[in-house]
Amino acid sequence: MTAQSPHTAEILEVYRLHKPQLEQLAEQASDLLRKALHNQNIQLNTFECRVKTEDSLAGKLEKKGYKYKTLYDVTDVVGIRVVTYYTDDVDKVAAITKQIFDIDWKNSVDKRKHQLDSFGYLSLHYICYLKEGPLRSIPFEIQMRTALQHVWSAIEHDIGYKGAVKLPPEFVRQFSRLAGMLEMADDEFSRLRTTMTEYRRQVQALVKSGHFNEVSLSTDSFRQYLELRPFDRLNQRIAAVNQAEIFPAPMMQFLSIFETFRFKNLGDIQQFIDENSDDAYQLALSQLAITDLDILSETIGLQNLCLVYVLKQGGGLYGVKAVYDAINGGQASNAILAENVLRQAQLLPFMHRL
Amino acid sequence: MKTTFEEKDGKYVMHFEGRLDTAASVQTEQEMKVLHNCEGHDVILDCAQLDYISSSGLRLFLALLKVAKSKGSKVCISGMNDNLRQVFAMTGFTHLFEFV
Repeated sequence: MTAQSPHTAEILEVYRLHKPQLEQLAEQASDLLRKALHNQNIQLNTFECRVKTEDSLAGKLEKKGYKYKTLYDVTDVVGIRVVTYYTDDVDKVAAITKQIFDIDWKNSVDKRKHQLDSFGYLSLHYICYLKEGPLRSIPFEIQMRTALQHVWSAIEHDIGYKGAVKLPPEFVRQFSRLAGMLEMADDEFSRLRTTMTEYRRQVQALVKSGHFNEVSLSTDSFRQYLELRPFDRLNQRIAAVNQAEIFPAPMMQFLSIFETFRFKNLGDIQQFIDENSDDAYQLALSQLAITDLDILSETIGLQNLCLVYVLKQGGGLYGVKAVYDAINGGQASNAILAENVLRQAQLLPFMHRL
Repeated sequence: MKTTFEEKDGKYVMHFEGRLDTAASVQTEQEMKVLHNCEGHDVILDCAQLDYISSSGLRLFLALLKVAKSKGSKVCISGMNDNLRQVFAMTGFTHLFEFV
C-alpha cells in the first residue's frame, strides 16, 4: 500500500470534520426526494442513500486527486440512487428532482445519451444542492436508472470491464448487443405498461356501462366486475337463512373455474348468475338450514353457483370434486365433500329437471 | 373443551380437544391469544381431537387468520375430521386456510 499524498490527507481531514454535516445532508436530501416520489405514486425498485466511506474517498483521491482541489469538488461524497421499474419513470424522477433541488448542470450528465461512440447502458446523474438551509452549499449526486440499467451496471462491475481502456472487437460487439437488447426491453416494458393501462381503462368503462358481452374474461375484467358486487344479492339471500354475518373473502380463485366452464366474457358470468341463483340458494339452504352457523364466507353464493352449474351440466361427482379442488386445492377430503353435496343436491328439484 | 399450546420446530402449535361451541369459545379465545403473537412463526391448529366447531369457534379461527396474515405467518389446520371439514366447506371458509 502506498502512502497518502499530502493533498489526499488534507481532503480526508476535512471529510472527517464534516462527516456529521454530510450525514445530515444525506438524510435531508433523501427524505425530501423520497416524499416527493411517494406523493407522485412512482413505484421504485430501490432507493438508496449513502455517504462515501473514508476508504472509498481515499481510493478516489489517490486515483484522480489532481482533479479535486477541495472536498466538495468530489460531487458524489453524498449519493442517492433511485432505481425505477420503467424508463418513463426515470424521466419523471428527473423532473421531480429538478423541482425540489438546484441542479449543477455543468457537472450533471445524461449518460443515457452518450452512447454513440461507446457501449454500455448507463444512467442519468444529477449533481444537486438543497434549495435552502445551512447545507445548501454542499453538492450531492443523484443517480437515476431503471432496474435493467442497474443490472447492467452490476454485471459490468462484476466482469470488471468498467474503465478498461481497450477491449478486443468481439467483446465490444457482445457488450453492444447486450446493451441494445436491454434498452429495447426497457422500452418494451414501458410500452406494455401504457397499453395495459389503456386496456384496463377500456374494460372499466365497458363493465360500468353494463356491456358485459363485449368484455373478455381476464384477471382485470373479473376484478372490475367484482367491484359491481354481482354476488351480493345471492349472498344476502343465503345469509338470511341463519341471519348470518358475511365475512369478506377473496374471489379471484374462481376465475380458473370459469375457465374450465369455458366462459369467454363477463356476459357468460352474468348469465350463469341469472340462470342458477335460485338453485344455488336451494342447495345452500339444504345444507345450512339444519345448522345454526351464522357466519359465512363472501364466496358462499359463488361457490354454490359453481356447484349447481357443474351438476346441471352433468358433471356429477367428478365435476363437483373438480370445483372443490379448484377452490380448496387438491385435498383428499374434497371427494368426501363432493359426495355430501351430491347427496344433498339429489333431493333438490333442479336435479330432477335434467 | 381443552387446548394445549406448544412451540415445535419453530411453529406455534395449538391442540384442540372436545367441543368448541359457544359456551367454550370465551375461554378458548383467551387461550388462543398466545397465537396472536406469532410474528416469525407459522401456526398449526391441531384439530385431530376436536369433535365439534360452532360459528363462535369459526370466528376465533378467522380472527387468528387475520392477525397471522398481517404478521406474515401462515395458519394450517391439521387432523380435522370429515364433519368439521363439512362445516368449513358449507360456510365457504375452506379456501382461506391450509389443511394438512
